[in-house]
Amino acid sequence: MRTRPLAKLAAVGVIGALALTGCGSSKDDNGSGGLSGGGGSKDSNATYTIAFEGPLSGDNQQLGINEVNGVQLAIDQANKDTSLGFKLKLLKADDGGVPEKAPAAAAQVLQDSTVMGVVGPSFSGASQAVGKKYGDAGLTIVNPSASNGELQDQGFKTWHRVMPNDFAEGPAAADWLAKKAKKVIVVSDKSAYGDGVAKAVSDELKKKGVSVINQAADQTTTKDYGPIAQTVKQSGADALFYAGYDAQGAQFAKALKSVGYNGIRMSGNGVKSDVFVQGAKADGEGWYMSCGCQDATVAPAAKDFASAYQAMFNTPPSTYSPEAFDAANIVIQAIKTAKESGTVTRQAVNDAVSKIDYKGITADIKFAANGDLPPGEGTVNLFQVKGGKIVSLGDITQAP
Amino acid sequence: MKRRSVEAEARIENLKRFGACLAGGFVLALMVGTQEGTQQDFGYAFRQSVAMPRILIFLGIGVLLYLAITFGPRAKPYLTRPGLRPLGAGVLTVIISLTLLKWTDSPQINTGKFRPLADAAAPTQALDSLARLWFGSAFSQTAWLLLIIVTVLAAAGMIRRSAPLSYAAAILAGVLGIWAEYASAAVSKFLHYPSHATGGAVAMLGFFTIAVASLVSARSQAAEADTDGFIDRVLGWRPGLALVVLGFAVGLVGVFNAAWFSPGDRNATLSTTASMFGATNLNGFAQTYLDWLGFVLFFVTLVVAGVASYLRHRLLAYAAIVLGLVSTLLTLVVVHDFSALGGKQGFDGAQGAWDNLGTGAWMTCAALSLFAGAGYLVLKDLRIEAKGVRAGSDIVGSGTAGARGQVAAATMLVVIIAALFYPPTATEFWQTVLVSEIGIYVLLAIGLNVVVGWAGLLDLGFIAFYAIGSYTTAYFTGRLPVQPPDWLLLSPLACIPFAIAACLIAGVALGFPTLRLRGDYLAIVTLGFGEIIRVIANNANGFTNGPRGAFNIPAPQIHLGPIHLTWGDSALGFWYLLLVLIAIIVLLFNRLENSRLGRAWAAIREDEVAAQATGINTRNVKLLAFAIGASTSGVAGVFFASQVGSFTPENFVLNNSILVVAYVVFGGMGSLPGAMAGAAVLTWLPEFLKDQVPAEDRQMWIGALILVMMIFRPAGLIPARRRKAELSGLDRPSSAEATAVPAGEGM
Amino acid sequence: MHPVQDFLNFLILGLTRGSLYALIALGYTLVYGVLQLINFAHSEVFMSGAFGSYLVVNSVVEDGSRPPWYGVLAVIILGLTSGGLVGAGVAWCLERVAYRPLRRRGAPKLAFLISAIGASFFLSQLFGKLFNRLNNNNFPSFFDQNKHVVQIGGVYITLMQAIIMVSALIMMVFLDSLVSRTKLGRSIRAVAEDAPTAALMGVNIDKTISRTFVIGGFLGGAAGYLYGSALFFSNTMGFIPGVKAFAAAVLGGIGNIRGAMLGGLLLGVVEATVPTAPWYKPGWIGIEWTDVVAFLVLVLVLVVRPTGILGERLGRAA
Repeated sequence: MRTRPLAKLAAVGVIGALALTGCGSSKDDNGSGGLSGGGGSKDSNATYTIAFEGPLSGDNQQLGINEVNGVQLAIDQANKDTSLGFKLKLLKADDGGVPEKAPAAAAQVLQDSTVMGVVGPSFSGASQAVGKKYGDAGLTIVNPSASNGELQDQGFKTWHRVMPNDFAEGPAAADWLAKKAKKVIVVSDKSAYGDGVAKAVSDELKKKGVSVINQAADQTTTKDYGPIAQTVKQSGADALFYAGYDAQGAQFAKALKSVGYNGIRMSGNGVKSDVFVQGAKADGEGWYMSCGCQDATVAPAAKDFASAYQAMFNTPPSTYSPEAFDAANIVIQAIKTAKESGTVTRQAVNDAVSKIDYKGITADIKFAANGDLPPGEGTVNLFQVKGGKIVSLGDITQAP
Repeated sequence: MKRRSVEAEARIENLKRFGACLAGGFVLALMVGTQEGTQQDFGYAFRQSVAMPRILIFLGIGVLLYLAITFGPRAKPYLTRPGLRPLGAGVLTVIISLTLLKWTDSPQINTGKFRPLADAAAPTQALDSLARLWFGSAFSQTAWLLLIIVTVLAAAGMIRRSAPLSYAAAILAGVLGIWAEYASAAVSKFLHYPSHATGGAVAMLGFFTIAVASLVSARSQAAEADTDGFIDRVLGWRPGLALVVLGFAVGLVGVFNAAWFSPGDRNATLSTTASMFGATNLNGFAQTYLDWLGFVLFFVTLVVAGVASYLRHRLLAYAAIVLGLVSTLLTLVVVHDFSALGGKQGFDGAQGAWDNLGTGAWMTCAALSLFAGAGYLVLKDLRIEAKGVRAGSDIVGSGTAGARGQVAAATMLVVIIAALFYPPTATEFWQTVLVSEIGIYVLLAIGLNVVVGWAGLLDLGFIAFYAIGSYTTAYFTGRLPVQPPDWLLLSPLACIPFAIAACLIAGVALGFPTLRLRGDYLAIVTLGFGEIIRVIANNANGFTNGPRGAFNIPAPQIHLGPIHLTWGDSALGFWYLLLVLIAIIVLLFNRLENSRLGRAWAAIREDEVAAQATGINTRNVKLLAFAIGASTSGVAGVFFASQVGSFTPENFVLNNSILVVAYVVFGGMGSLPGAMAGAAVLTWLPEFLKDQVPAEDRQMWIGALILVMMIFRPAGLIPARRRKAELSGLDRPSSAEATAVPAGEGM
Repeated sequence: MHPVQDFLNFLILGLTRGSLYALIALGYTLVYGVLQLINFAHSEVFMSGAFGSYLVVNSVVEDGSRPPWYGVLAVIILGLTSGGLVGAGVAWCLERVAYRPLRRRGAPKLAFLISAIGASFFLSQLFGKLFNRLNNNNFPSFFDQNKHVVQIGGVYITLMQAIIMVSALIMMVFLDSLVSRTKLGRSIRAVAEDAPTAALMGVNIDKTISRTFVIGGFLGGAAGYLYGSALFFSNTMGFIPGVKAFAAAVLGGIGNIRGAMLGGLLLGVVEATVPTAPWYKPGWIGIEWTDVVAFLVLVLVLVVRPTGILGERLGRAA
């Protein structure tokens, strides 16, 4: 068998190299001594890492980029704050948004001993795959976006979530819709998020005696929202609830305008972003959104966030950027707390996160024992697009 | 139309080539340019990438490329000098090590690559001075300077055919190699940070390659390199000796230098470990092994294997095999015993056996197995020779390793041994990648290779079967909204037959109506099938739990009489399970390729009408290919579901189907090792590129790599013999066809 | 509710979508005709057309401006040609880089497929890197796309739909006559029929193949402009329409120009009308099953007619 001998030599060589690698592997956590004289975790200039795990490639890349930008912004702002006493670094771990790649991403995070907290994983499936792994290592997870309403019951030891889950936000929106409409069409985008919200909304609507039509348009394969918009129009429903994300929501809004649908158009947290407003332009006017978050035009912190984000990334913050920003800040504050009360270890940071009371730009955040926001915590607000801006109409239970 | 003169044609051709090279440089500038414009300013990244001084560099690269292509042929006599190609490979390896690879894992150094490490290490007074010198304490960029010196020296020796220069280069390269590894080890020791980084070792390997190249050039009389012949002579001279030498090198480091036990920052070598456990109640045998038996076993096996291969002695070869395997087992037993003891005492957070281990034990195991492998090669050689004598063949005494399958067999042994003993020494990240990405896709590629490579049916929906396997597992472990009856709830491994059955049925159901379609029609139908399965998984909430997927699938367990095996959090355990699965499937398929069925597939692939005319039932044979490929994919699905424990329909998108096809073709269609190598390389690459390019750009680089690979090596990494013959035509009837017949192929 | 009227509205949506599919499918079918290869990277040609035309159109008109009708027409024609030219350029490069070297080496058929897949990954991510990776870029809106140009009862056609259908129709008619009437068309047909013989007759095979790619690329790029201005554009926009258009080409009979047109329209209509049927017949499937319906129709057609509706062979189109 004559094949290229060079290739063969190389193969033998590489394997040899791998076998020869590394002398000694241990689980040493504190690098003593240091090349540049610094180092050592008790040093005042210690550097800690916050990891982000989410999709930085693949179909859901954009969502991951939204979030990682939020984390990056939080870290950059913290590094400018000299009173903190430590420096922060960002570690990006790409899991493609799928469970399949999540374990490797988690391993990458875990093997860096300076990582003190994880923001992510962005998706519920990936969270399921690695929640236990992080928990066993005692590394705190502050989740900005995996909204599956079953995650909090999995017994993950270090898991926290800064946003209400599908089952918290959906019913509030449905209650409001039930006051306005007799027949509602609920369109799911068939993402794990959208499907959960759509189910929560339609269950609640049915409970209220509203007639519900369920439809779905798979966000990964639907590019032309014409037929679904036409369906919405011809269904004769007085209201539409779209359970999905902002970019697709904008497409949908344009298509609805094009077929001339005039009923109430509403959606959840996934659509509430400037990407929707800029994408749909005039066609997005009048859309309602329910969101368990504060009004960005009132809360000054949120306003500052939006302008800082725009300045740094040249694009407005999109779905989950604020949540990721909050999540990162929670970890940063927890590191600070841990530092003030002794040493910074993963366990100490996790304990601090569990006890945190943080005023974020999306909400005031506390965690219940299961890691979720405590039930009843935080009001769900109603928003509407008016004049090219998302304005708050106040508490959804009081809203007109 | 006026006919152009020959010169004018040539000039135009030349201009075109120049233009293409410039365009290539331009594209390269874009590829390593700025990231993304904005909605307000679309062209931002483009303008940044082609900004004036910057673009000149890349256009310069284009010009250099042009010059190389144009004047390359003139340098040909020099380029074929003995040793020059290995020299190039060695220099390239060192350059890769110095630019791309990690030299330390310590988070202190941002990327862990050579440059930042050197910047930090050079001024550190407390570091070993020899190591500091390497990192440039005396003058900056020492390593690069030395590399250039040794390269120039070696190249001069080769081109001027001067033996003294070559010897000097060889010695210098050898010293540099040791120095590089020494410096890397010194840094690890200094940082007290366990390092799995490969930089130093790869640099050493590169320098050693340069040394060998120089030696070859100094000793060679030929004007033109005959690398094939050279390797044949080296490996064929004494079968197995190469493995003995490799084992010797690996084992020496393992026994004397590498850490066996490394709790905390105590990187204890074998003898240190022995003294550490001296005072404990470690059982007598393990203590004996640590004290002296380990060394003795290593050297005895080394000597037996060495003598067996030198004398080509049958009995000694058997002895080497037995000794090698037994002492490997003993080593594993001992390692288990002392690490279990350490674990019981909760030594530095150890959880149980196999914790806190260094690389030493694994290297020793690898060395011992290599000795056993050498024994096997000797036996194999003797057997072929005996056959040859009977057949009166002239390969006896010709001493060519290629003719006796020595090269293939030795490579295979090394790969197997690396697969067994390398993973425990890797970082947890690489272990996880190895299992949940590389391993699974290798399994899928093996399955698809049957369909695409052997039967020649283009299947673009292969992931569907993987999905079916995964969902079957989720169903039978009771993790879907629809539950099986209680008595049918199974452990994941017991789902394998059901998954295979489900995939067989799906494969036949898809194949039956569609297999009369040819080529590209079949491709689109299978693609549609893949999409249909995914859409059903995503939409049928009542059965599949829709986009939320299945989760909490238990890890596999085996309870057979006294044997209790459970898999849990460690990726390593899953790796060995996967290895067993892959081994079983590869053994089965290896038989299949040359069976009646395999030949029928080849016939259909080459000419379906002719195959039908010779009496092959084409439909059934195609259906079989489909079903066999599908069931492999189903097994992969079972493994995946129980290993990751949760999955969503997003895992089964169309893109993954296309990727598997790309892996198979990239590796070499129809070649089992090729398909495996293709999948391994292309799943490893994104994880490797993670440290080299922005994460978002990885797919771009991989796309470019696939493109370039297909242009220059259309038959793939390790082409199938038959395909290779097709491509290179009949002018190289070659030993390949000759060796294809005897049992000497071994792969 | 008026079942017929509802159906007609969906039909128009389907015809719009189908015209785009047909334009893209023509690229697949032309290349298949001359090379018997699926050009998997054609979806990126389509994508590049959208990006290219955006750069041109965006520099000519502003978002929200309302030029007179002849201005609108001029901008649309500019968009179509610029998208087409960029698509043609990318397709030409593609043939040069990903196909010709392999042809010279006599590579196996699948190697072309893989090199095209590699090129497709490369192009899509390179465009993402150069421009952006957002998944909802929009063209500037400079006319009222939703104006009803035809309205009969509740059935209407909007301006954008009309533009897409009319320009697709013009391009398809033009292509059909190009292939059946001109010298270039003759050489394309000759190569499709029997390349070695065509070469003996003095047809320059390389040039013909190159030109075929350019023609297909032009149509794909123009379709990219239409698609982008009607819906959105992004660096990953090509994949799904590409797969669908490939299916459409096979449906009509790959390698057959009229087959691709027919297949595209048919697939678009099936996708838009069948899954949405609850609104003229309750208890039917939903839109999320669109792809299942589309591929089942494809399988059914292929089971009945294994080489597509109109059969293979570019030569027969004339």
